[in-house]
Amino acid sequence: MAFGAIRRSVSTRVLSYRQQSCGRAFSSKAIQDFDVVIVGGGPVGLALASGLGSYRLVRESLKVALVEAGDLSKTRDWALPPDSYSNRVSSITNSSRAFLEDIGVWEHVDQSRTCPVQEMQVWDGLSDARITFDAADLPASNAAESSEMARLTENLNLQRALLRHLGSIGGTELLQKTRVESIQREDRDGGHGWPLVYLSDGTILRARLLVGADGFNSPVRAYTGIPSYGWSYDVRAIVATLYHPPRGAFQGPNRTAYQRFLPTGPIAFLPLSPTVSSLVWSTRPALAEALCHAEPAALAHMINAAFRLPEVSVRYLHKLILDAHSTGASISGEDICSETAFREKSHGIPGYSAYASVSSMLSAGVPPNDAMAVPPIVTSIQPGTIASFPLKFNHAESYLGEGVGSRTVLVGDAAHTIHPLAGQGLNLGLGDVRSLVQCIVQSVVRGGDIGSFTSLRPYAAERYFANHKVMSAVDKLHKLYSSTWEPVVWARSVGLEVINELDSVKAALMMDAGAGDLERSRWDLLANGMKGVSDGLTTAKMLGQGIGGVFTIGINEITRRLGQH
Amino acid sequence: MFSTAVRRVSRLTQRTRFIQTDATVNAAEIAHFSRLSSQWWDENGEFALLHRMNPVRVQYIREKLIEIAREEKGEDVAHEMEQRRDAFRGLSILDVGCGGGLLSESLARLGAQTLGIDASESNIRIASTHADADPLLSSSFPTSSSLHYRNTSAEQLLKEPERFGVVCSMEVIEHVDNPAAFLATCAELVKPGGHLFLSTIARTPLAFLLTIAAAEYMMRKVAIGTHTYHKFVNPSELISFFQSYSSPSTTSKQPWITRTYGGGQPTRKEAEVRGLIYKPWSGDWELMSRSASQWGAAECNYLFWVRKPFTS
Repeated sequence: MAFGAIRRSVSTRVLSYRQQSCGRAFSSKAIQDFDVVIVGGGPVGLALASGLGSYRLVRESLKVALVEAGDLSKTRDWALPPDSYSNRVSSITNSSRAFLEDIGVWEHVDQSRTCPVQEMQVWDGLSDARITFDAADLPASNAAESSEMARLTENLNLQRALLRHLGSIGGTELLQKTRVESIQREDRDGGHGWPLVYLSDGTILRARLLVGADGFNSPVRAYTGIPSYGWSYDVRAIVATLYHPPRGAFQGPNRTAYQRFLPTGPIAFLPLSPTVSSLVWSTRPALAEALCHAEPAALAHMINAAFRLPEVSVRYLHKLILDAHSTGASISGEDICSETAFREKSHGIPGYSAYASVSSMLSAGVPPNDAMAVPPIVTSIQPGTIASFPLKFNHAESYLGEGVGSRTVLVGDAAHTIHPLAGQGLNLGLGDVRSLVQCIVQSVVRGGDIGSFTSLRPYAAERYFANHKVMSAVDKLHKLYSSTWEPVVWARSVGLEVINELDSVKAALMMDAGAGDLERSRWDLLANGMKGVSDGLTTAKMLGQGIGGVFTIGINEITRRLGQH
Repeated sequence: MFSTAVRRVSRLTQRTRFIQTDATVNAAEIAHFSRLSSQWWDENGEFALLHRMNPVRVQYIREKLIEIAREEKGEDVAHEMEQRRDAFRGLSILDVGCGGGLLSESLARLGAQTLGIDASESNIRIASTHADADPLLSSSFPTSSSLHYRNTSAEQLLKEPERFGVVCSMEVIEHVDNPAAFLATCAELVKPGGHLFLSTIARTPLAFLLTIAAAEYMMRKVAIGTHTYHKFVNPSELISFFQSYSSPSTTSKQPWITRTYGGGQPTRKEAEVRGLIYKPWSGDWELMSRSASQWGAAECNYLFWVRKPFTS
């Protein structure tokens, strides 16, 4: 699900990475030595500074600086009224939360603005094959953990907590509203030149270790010369903060996350409070633009329809919005609403069903049986929260600079950018931070040079494959669910392989969930998967034996072929 | 066939100033390492395996010194050492055969007053240049001049009065000519109650297979001619040396190792042998547990620690 990964790309702008004239312009300034220079004050960069600062050993021996172009004091003083939420929301997995607790950051997070996810519902937009899983699937290492599978948190809430933590431990030099003008390798005898970071305020930092936490367009990565491979998905993600009535007395609390895989991309509904939830809707760029420019009321009805109507009707509504956008005509919320009502009638959706947008507006009384199968009806959108951004897949070929780019390391989005459908972007970044902090602490304990390849090698060894595994799984899922090709739809819905694929959604979502006991959670997933297999087989029999051959093709093969097209 | 490689190297001309006076320095070995000296700090080059071994060696020295501190000075002192970056503050350490300074730099970072010596002048030059590039170690920063290098031999140094709290000689004894004389020299450089740390390779078929046949000839991970099988030293030989060795400079004739248990293991407070295993799949070295060394863990690379008695 589209938890997380949606965060402000680090705003450290670089005018020129290798501006030759800089050397002269700055030559009168003295060089300041730092052991660690972190470029980028996003959640990952701040978490690294916090993680390092949480060790007395590191605090007493390493000079750490963090460079951020934006205004961090604004983030530190960030405050919203209780019913307003920022549109950038992340799902913090239990193991990410355990790390934030360990380093003393979590206590600074405003808990009243976070929401535990107790259940997730994921379904196929074409076939409606559905998988439901809840926190009980997780290996319960303690009572608190077993009650939730992740915690939805506004990114700003986390960033503010990180800044408060940094303020309380002290030691880190926060260089805010400061841009990196260029990064150059110091020219010194013996080829041991260290990275020199030239800042917009004229200071020059010499880094024993330069950390690129500077997002997708990482200037640090450009300096290291590390190539990265990847592509832009033909998809944009729309985010917004949604208002809706609370769940009725006979329903569960608003702690279920929903994601429907439409052929245009997944749409996700992430609960924040009983009456507020966050939207992450990945869809075609043209449609995203049309939706963002439509009346907010029309967007709200489009969201309701996207979770409820059969795919053919969702497609029709998309066409309406697109046509209106291209001709400059405006479509009102009522237009979409009445169109939806008409389509519900023609699809034979009963008025008392949760799938009917009209009746489920009423939260009083006895709810329909399928009330929890879809999210609550969105009634309005918090003003100013509708935004969209492009989605990318990108993975650096290495996390460590070598040769002329030595003494550099990449973390978070600078190293890897991922589709948000599994909500793993920020969690991968926090995983990087945890590993790198361990690596640096161990190097300090053993008298190592923390900028050396030998000291940093365990970080790259631990994280590269772990990240790659999650990234590939998520990328594969995106491709798989973008297909409308019938055999693929059939296979992913009822086929044997498909259960595995749905299971890999689950695995991707819950990969980090249990704090450690991965083996057991895998077994639990497998057991649940088997239940799904038998359900799937029953459906398959009902559909008839003729298409059994698709089984043998296998989803892997199909996705491979899709990739070639 | 392996000795031909050594002979070839020995034909290289070398400075012989120290070789004439120092019984244990081998000219061919010095030539070999001088030739490779420019590569000391290439972390993925000839000495990649040594770079990866270094943190484990430092970890062992640190743990051992903290363990002894815990027994003699109490839990609080040991705990404080564990929490500090400069756990070796106030300690003088001599690194014999420092090479490019891999170990010396780490010891200095941990706060020890460190002297690195090497018989190869080019090694000392490389080590000094490298340390100068690091503000924490550079001699141009007066506050942190805890690291010094000298182009000399252990025998020469013994003629001077200074003795050291800790003497380390890592991966050196298998390269010297007269190991017994070398051990005695190192031992004499230790202060009473001080520590001697060695690391070397056992003379076993496994060690031959891994360190010479595989690492040098098959995988080409280590320069050919780096190791000579017959110069390898077994742990039992080090133990028996220190069972009979007592410092000639004192009247007391107490040996450094007074007794051993079954399997020839020394007591934990006097000496210790710990295997070092290279794991090719992860590219890491692992320090084996104390009990593992009885079961063949010290069949190849190992660390040896022995303590000089206070009274000797």
